[in-house]
Amino acid sequence: MMQADASGPGVRLGFKHGGKERVIVLSEARVNQIRHFGRSAWREPFSTQAWHELAFFMVSSMLTGVGFVFIAVTMGAGVALTVTFIGLVVVAASLRGARGLGRFHRTLARGFIDEVVEEPLPFSARPGFFGWLQSALRDRVGWRAVAYCVIKVPLSAFGVWFAFSVWVDAFFCLTYPLWGAGAARPKEFGVVLNLFAPGFLSVQSSGFIHGLFIFLTGGLLLLLAPWPMRAVVFADRRLIHALLGPDPVTARVRSLEDARTQTVDASAATLRRIERDLHDGTQAQLVALAMQLGQAKEKLAEAGDLDIDEVRRLINDAHGGAKEAIVELRDLARGIHPPVLDTGLEGALSTLAARSTVPVELTVVWEERPTRAIEAIAYFCVAELLANVAQHANASRASVRCTQHGKWLRVVVRDDGGGGAQPALIGSSSSGLRGLIDRVHAVDGTLEVNSPAGGPTIMTIDLPLHA
Amino acid sequence: MSDSIRVAIAEDSAILRDGLVQLLADRGFEITDAVSDPEGLHESITRDLPDVAVVDIRMPPTFTDEGLRAAIELRRLHPTLGILLFSQYIETRYAAELLADDAAGIGYLLKDRVADVSDFVEALVRVASGGTALDPEVVTQLLGASRKIHSLSGLSAREREVLSLMAEGRSNAAIATALVISEGAVEKHVANIFTKLDLPVSQSDHRRVLAVLRFLDS
Repeated sequence: MMQADASGPGVRLGFKHGGKERVIVLSEARVNQIRHFGRSAWREPFSTQAWHELAFFMVSSMLTGVGFVFIAVTMGAGVALTVTFIGLVVVAASLRGARGLGRFHRTLARGFIDEVVEEPLPFSARPGFFGWLQSALRDRVGWRAVAYCVIKVPLSAFGVWFAFSVWVDAFFCLTYPLWGAGAARPKEFGVVLNLFAPGFLSVQSSGFIHGLFIFLTGGLLLLLAPWPMRAVVFADRRLIHALLGPDPVTARVRSLEDARTQTVDASAATLRRIERDLHDGTQAQLVALAMQLGQAKEKLAEAGDLDIDEVRRLINDAHGGAKEAIVELRDLARGIHPPVLDTGLEGALSTLAARSTVPVELTVVWEERPTRAIEAIAYFCVAELLANVAQHANASRASVRCTQHGKWLRVVVRDDGGGGAQPALIGSSSSGLRGLIDRVHAVDGTLEVNSPAGGPTIMTIDLPLHA
Repeated sequence: MSDSIRVAIAEDSAILRDGLVQLLADRGFEITDAVSDPEGLHESITRDLPDVAVVDIRMPPTFTDEGLRAAIELRRLHPTLGILLFSQYIETRYAAELLADDAAGIGYLLKDRVADVSDFVEALVRVASGGTALDPEVVTQLLGASRKIHSLSGLSAREREVLSLMAEGRSNAAIATALVISEGAVEKHVANIFTKLDLPVSQSDHRRVLAVLRFLDS
């Protein structure tokens, strides 16, 4: 027994099953979704997507046939000839050809069904003929294209039986009255043949009734036809992504290369910043100090009219300058590597929290201490983020939470300030949030910024415990 | 002598700028202006031409060689203006660029030299009056990098000392004081050096510097 109650938002469906009352609740959004689908589903045969998918299936299946013959012949010949050296060359040439077929399939997918697949890395041969041969035989992109062309054969065959047949049946049923009687009239095909026994629709008594039934069946099939095709094309889309895109190993290498570039740039930028800080700060202060002491020394040497007040002033200034230089040097050294970090991240973070101008609540929960490099990255991230909180966020309180999740360290820095933080807007490219993101990416970590206008701001950093 | 010398200072570090102003004023120089960037220096010099400008090499906006560029440009506009470049590092390339056509009224010193106030003031006076003041570090680097090791090895130890001091832009009298020998002895050493290195003899100190530098650099 089923009853629907549509009084509130959404729909409640109550029914009894196995002696128990069960209720299915559909939210209003879900109900609207279903309603919308119901209204639009019948228009599907007239949508461009359905026709594009049909066209894609036809063209790419033909290409699959051609490609399979090419690969079967060349690979077959290559394997047959492997006893001689020529066999390897033929296999290599076949792989290069497969790469071309792959590119062609990618172009079709992009052109017909808007399936954009990233280009794999271009083939790069080592110098010399043997270099070329080795590179071609080891070309993962080529082998993956071969795999695609081979797997696509059963998929296409299945598609012809399962999806293409429905379109064909729909076409023939709808045009049934136009075909003359007898041998010219096409046979039922695919679904019609499989689901309905021959003669199922044949109402023997009247040619007209028979024709009408066939036509109505055609109309029904036309409404259904896009859906099996969509399923087949969907499988093909997955296959294209899996086998014709850049392979995961290459993508990994590429992302590591990017990370390395960022790390190298970041460390160069750090060195430049340290040099600048030394040059503008401590070095300048020491020069000024030497200048004052030099002046005082010469004044003391002028034995005749010794201006003791002037000498006192110079030495006073020099003394003040020396103390300032010490403080600046200490801050600079701490910026390079905070000594407190040697005793562990927890202690270093509590120092940071204590120094912050905004009250910070610190929680550290873990069983396993991360490696030094990870601790340093976590420390500098928290230092930078707390500095941002103090400078930009207009916050009254902040919290730092360090927790361990399996092999990952999660650091969450939260403040109740105005929000609206964006990676591009905070700090300079080398020292700001952007710089932090680069640092975190370098060890495969992530930094997530969640800072809606009006706050609160939540920065989540995930770092591997060991790197 | 230094009473009448008018100096403009371009230095981006406030602490050094103030220190220099105070030191030079104390030594009786007249400070026409103390600025922190090349544009300020240009404006200041166009408004009130000093005898000499003390210019930091690293200044805003890029903190690379703004001071050097400004110095070269200022020399083109005001050939009589003495320029003392002031830096925390010595780059021989900068020295070569600065001395490309003339060594008169050019100085290039490490900032550390202000610690020896009298030497620094003396160098500034020399530059203001059309002489040359090269940092001993510049000369050491030039001597070290010179391909004329063969010719230089023909010089005696004393002659090498004289050559170095001469390359710094010092006069015979100053060299004599520095080495605690008579001026006549210095003249003799100088004559020997010029003969041994096969250099054209010249009277004025800054031409002498240029001749030596060209020799070392070629």
